[in-house]
Amino acid sequence: MDDKISLIMQEKKRFLLPMLIFLLVFYFMLPLSLAFFPEAMGRMSIIPGLSWGWLYTFLQIPMTWLLGWMYHQKSKKFDRELEEIRRKGLQ
Amino acid sequence: MNLTYFLFFICIIVCTLIITYWAAKRSTTTNRFYTTAGSLTGFQNGMAIAGDFISAASFLGIVGTIAINGYDGFLYSIGFLVSYLVVLFLIAEPVHHLGKYSLGDVVCSRFPGIEMRWMMAIGTFMISIFYMIPQLVASGFLLRLLLDIDYSISVAVIGGLMTVYVVFGGMVATSWVQIVKTIVLMSGTFLLSLIVFSHFNWSMTDFMQRVQEGTPLGEQFFQPGHLFGNPLEFLSLQLALVLGTAGLPHILIRLFTVRNSLEVRRSLMSATWIIGLFYIMTLVLGLGTVAILGYHTLIGADATGNLAAPLLAREVGGDFLLAFISAIAFTTIVAVVAGLVISATTAFSHDIYHHILKKGKSTEKEQLVAARWTALGIGLISTLFALRLETINVTFLVSMTFVVAASSIFPVLLLTIYWKRFNKIGAITGMLSGLLASVTLLLLGPNIMNVDGGWIQREAVIPLYNPGIIAIPLGFLGAMIGTLAARKEKKDNAEFREFFKRAQTGSGRESA
Repeated sequence: MDDKISLIMQEKKRFLLPMLIFLLVFYFMLPLSLAFFPEAMGRMSIIPGLSWGWLYTFLQIPMTWLLGWMYHQKSKKFDRELEEIRRKGLQ
Repeated sequence: MNLTYFLFFICIIVCTLIITYWAAKRSTTTNRFYTTAGSLTGFQNGMAIAGDFISAASFLGIVGTIAINGYDGFLYSIGFLVSYLVVLFLIAEPVHHLGKYSLGDVVCSRFPGIEMRWMMAIGTFMISIFYMIPQLVASGFLLRLLLDIDYSISVAVIGGLMTVYVVFGGMVATSWVQIVKTIVLMSGTFLLSLIVFSHFNWSMTDFMQRVQEGTPLGEQFFQPGHLFGNPLEFLSLQLALVLGTAGLPHILIRLFTVRNSLEVRRSLMSATWIIGLFYIMTLVLGLGTVAILGYHTLIGADATGNLAAPLLAREVGGDFLLAFISAIAFTTIVAVVAGLVISATTAFSHDIYHHILKKGKSTEKEQLVAARWTALGIGLISTLFALRLETINVTFLVSMTFVVAASSIFPVLLLTIYWKRFNKIGAITGMLSGLLASVTLLLLGPNIMNVDGGWIQREAVIPLYNPGIIAIPLGFLGAMIGTLAARKEKKDNAEFREFFKRAQTGSGRESA
């Protein structure tokens, strides 16, 4: 039983770590790119009327929602598996 | 003050007092008083978290900052939003599984002991009080600006209300006041945003054109670099913002008010949706202020730009809408300060009184009485402080809260949950070094030491307004050095594995 729980926790770690790294890189690239490439960030992006700086800033908001949702979906799966193990343990 | 204003305010005060009365009848056990006995749903708690988090500084301050500085003002709010993912990924579920009422419970579930509890209680208490007093001071100024009420009367009214909510209704009243606040705040800003768009016949091009005409920055308004000139300063601020929320006790204790980890995640996801949408609306309002009123009218009314939203409301909707927006600002303040009172109260009455002074042996009734008296004491003392501190610069105390939280409570929580070798000495040195480093750096920084107008009229030793980039690593470093220095025998890994399992799954808690 404990082994199964450890397996789930390892899987969770494998899932969470890349997400966390992506989050930090994606977020901190914003201030860094503004500091080091201000001109490029001020140029018009692929969306008319919106510069790269604005586009990147706006993207942080759906990024937050999306990552939160992905984490939530994956966690639901972990919760189900843990529940299964617990039930078996009780039997 | 005319009748419209008066009616709006009376309406809010009466509504929240009804909530408190209803909550008081339900706050009969410590579990209910401190955490509503986990009775909130994820979505309700998400609204309460948003209500706890969005201060009047966000609502009025960010609208004003966007109106003045354009792009950079909006950047400010992004850090606040993204910080919730750090909480969700790393801190939220373990905190929910390990703690009962306070952050002291969380850390003490791994490192039991009086010293540890003292440290967590002091950290929580300091952060909550340091955040509450500037909020109260700001509220005094705000009501004076909006309604022409005397500073002391405004502070006394808000201080009195927050105390009443918490003393009688505990977390139940606090949560519902925060939920109501989120509903009125979101609907009010949504309404105002729609009015702004309709002002330009729903044409974005027209809107943006008028923004450029309204600001002295012209086209430059949409370019970065008006607020944050120094990249290091900017990065440091972003670091404190993104990690700070994961160390704010008044937000984290809200995670005890739901039933299970599913609801914890739902709480935080709802909160990110509400806060994200809110910041998009503040952007509309900020741009709307520049486009409709123009920069000079805004600065003419108040140099800080804090009056942007109220002035915009008056311009597009007359006195009635202004009264409505002022009432929203008022609700915003009381909801935030009530959340801070309950978090400071829990640290004192649960951690210090119950666990340290009474060694965990006080009865349910004694604890409840102690909690109510503590809330009364904290409410009164903070109100008195706020009355005396009318002249201090409050903005730095607010940014200080994020730096202090990110460099003391956040490292200790993170390492407690995830670091196998972490030990009690490390946790204590981590808290101490984080607290000392952040406070010292702020004292040596240009907020206090400034050639023009600082408390100490000298060149600042540390030229950073936001010392997060130095203080946060120092907090972690303190914790690690303490851990390594104190390590005597090699502990077996089984104990940590058990703890880690409990943090991630809550397994030990349910069987206990």
